[in-house]
Amino acid sequence: MLSPVDLDNFFLAFFSAALVILMGAAYALFFTLAKLNGRRLFMVTAYLSYGLLAVSVLLLAEALNLRGYWHIIVWLMLAGYLLAPHGIWHLCCGTHVAAHETANAGDNGRIPAKTEV
Amino acid sequence: MTAIAGKLDSKILNGGQKLAVKYFMVAIVLFVAQVAFGLIAGLQYIFPSLFYEMLDFNVNRMVHINAMVVWMLYGFIGAVYWLVEDESGREVVGLKLGNIAFYVLTAAVTVVVIVYLFVQTGPGTHKTLWLINEGREYIEAPRWADIGIVVVILVFFYNISMTFMKGRWSGISGVLVLDLVALAGIYLCGMFFTTNVSIDQYWWWWVIHLWVEATWEVLVGCIMAWGLMKTLGARRKIVTTWLYIEVGLMFGSGILGLGHHYFWIGTPEYWLSIGGFFSALEPIPLVAMVVHAVYDSGVHRFKSTNHPALAWLIAHAFGNFFGAGVWGFMHTLPQINLYTHGTQWSASHGHLAFFGAYATINIAFFYLAMQKWRGNVWMSAGLADNGWKWKWSLGLLNTGVVGMTIALLIAGYEQSFIERAMGGSTWQAYFEGQMHPWYIQAMQWRVVFGIVTVLGVVLLVWDLLTIGRKEARTAAVLESPDTKESFKPSSTGAAAGASAG
Repeated sequence: MLSPVDLDNFFLAFFSAALVILMGAAYALFFTLAKLNGRRLFMVTAYLSYGLLAVSVLLLAEALNLRGYWHIIVWLMLAGYLLAPHGIWHLCCGTHVAAHETANAGDNGRIPAKTEV
Repeated sequence: MTAIAGKLDSKILNGGQKLAVKYFMVAIVLFVAQVAFGLIAGLQYIFPSLFYEMLDFNVNRMVHINAMVVWMLYGFIGAVYWLVEDESGREVVGLKLGNIAFYVLTAAVTVVVIVYLFVQTGPGTHKTLWLINEGREYIEAPRWADIGIVVVILVFFYNISMTFMKGRWSGISGVLVLDLVALAGIYLCGMFFTTNVSIDQYWWWWVIHLWVEATWEVLVGCIMAWGLMKTLGARRKIVTTWLYIEVGLMFGSGILGLGHHYFWIGTPEYWLSIGGFFSALEPIPLVAMVVHAVYDSGVHRFKSTNHPALAWLIAHAFGNFFGAGVWGFMHTLPQINLYTHGTQWSASHGHLAFFGAYATINIAFFYLAMQKWRGNVWMSAGLADNGWKWKWSLGLLNTGVVGMTIALLIAGYEQSFIERAMGGSTWQAYFEGQMHPWYIQAMQWRVVFGIVTVLGVVLLVWDLLTIGRKEARTAAVLESPDTKESFKPSSTGAAAGASAG
C-alpha cells in the first residue's frame, strides 16, 4: 500500500532524490577518472560519493515511506548505482579493445589519459 | 535564402541534404515561434489581461508546445535525410516523393497554426475534432492533420528504408529503420477517441511517453552516433556497439517507466509499483553515460571538425542528464508524485529535459548543415570574431533555460506544498497556491529568463545565417578514424587562414 510523503519530509524527499542522481554521477565520474589516471584519491572520492549516495537512498526511503515490497527499490538503487559504472567500464574497455592494443595500456586495465588513439 | 545568409553552395549538397536543409529552415522558424508564444504565455501569468479574449493563455500554451513538438520532428527528419546518402552509399530513393511530403507537411502545419490562432475553438462536435482541435493536450492537431502526419512519416519511412535496402546497411541504419516503424505506429495511439477518459489517457500516454522516451531517444541515439563519427572521428564499430547498449538500457527501463504516467488516471493499482520500480531504474543509463563520456574524453584527444556542433553535443549530454535524470527522479516515485503531478514541477522538468535531450542535438545538426552548405568551410578553433556569436548564443540559451527551470521548480514546489499537500487540491487551495508570493515571484523570474532565452535564439539565428560567411579555409579533416587520427586544415586556403572578418 502507498503511504504518501509527510509534510515535514517534503523538502527531504526532493533533496535526497536529487542527491541520489548527483552522487551517482559523481561516483561514476571519479570511478572512471581513477581507472584512467590510476590516482588513489579519485577512487577514494568515488567511494565517498557512493557512501553519500547510499545515505541519500536511505533518507529518500525514509522520507517516502518506502516500506514492505517498496524496499526492493532501495536495494535495486544501491546495487544498480554501485555496479553500473563497473559494468560500463568493462564495456568501454571491451569496445575499444582494438584501440588499446595499439596504445600503451597501463597496469590492471588502466588507460593512460594522454594516450593518442 | 541567399539574400539573407550570403553565399551558399547547394551544389556541394547531395539530394538528401538539399531536402534536409528545407526541414532545418522550417524547424528554425518553428523554434522562433515556440519561444515567442512561450514568452507571451509566461507574461500572461504576470499580466493576466494581456491579449485576453484575443489570444488566451490556453491558445498560446498550445501553440508553444505544438511548435516545439513539430520543430523537433522537423529537426529529426532533416537530420536523417542529412545522413542517409552518406550512410547508405547511394542516392535517396523517392526523393521527389520526399519533397512533396515536405511541402504537404509544411502547408498542413501552416493551416493548423492559422486555425489554432484565428478559429481557436469549436462547438465540441465531431466537426471540431476533425477540423479545428482534437483536444488532446500536446497533440491537439485536428484529425485531418493527424492522418497527414502519419502519411508523411510513412513516406519518410519508405524513403529511408528503401534507400538502405538498395544501398548498404549498417548498425545505425538498422536501428534507425526499426525505430521509424515505431515512430509512425505509436502516433496512431493518439488518434482514436473513447468516451472513457481513463482509457483515452491510457493510450494518449503511449504517444507522449513512448514517443519521447523510446522512439525519439533511439532516433537521437542514431543521429548522435553519426554526429560523433563526423565531428570527433569516432570509430563506427564503437558508436554502433554503444548504440545497441543504449537501446537495450533505455528499453529495459524506459518502456515500463511509462507507468509513472498511469499513477493517477484511474488505472489498476499495480501501475504504482511498476511505474515506481522502472522509473527508479531510468536514470541508471544516464549515469552509465557519464562513465563512457569521461572514458572517451580521457583516452582520445578532443579535436573536432565543427566546434559549435560539438559544444551543442556536449550540452546535449549534460542537459539530458540533468533534465531527464535529476529533475525527473526528484518527483517520479508515486509517494511524492501524488503532490507534484501536473504542477509547475512538471513544467520545470519538461523545459530542461526537452531542451537538453532534443533541442541541443537539433541545433548541433544545424551547425553541421551550415558548415557544408557554406562550401564545407572551417568551423574548428580560431573562427572569425573568435566565434563570439555561437558562444554567446550557447551561453544565453543554456542560462535562459536553466533559469526558467529553476524558477518553475520553485513555483512547482510551492504549488505542490500549498495547493496539494496542505490544501488538499481544492479549488480554493488552487488559488491560494497561485497567489502566493513565492509563486508570483517565481513566475516573474521565469519571464526574465524567458527573455534571456529569446535573446539566445535571436543570436543563434543570426549566427547560423552568418557563420562561415567570409571563411576562406576549408573544413578540418579527421583522417581515417580507424587508423591514426590527425587533425589539420585541408589543402586550399590554409594559408589564407586567419581569414575573414
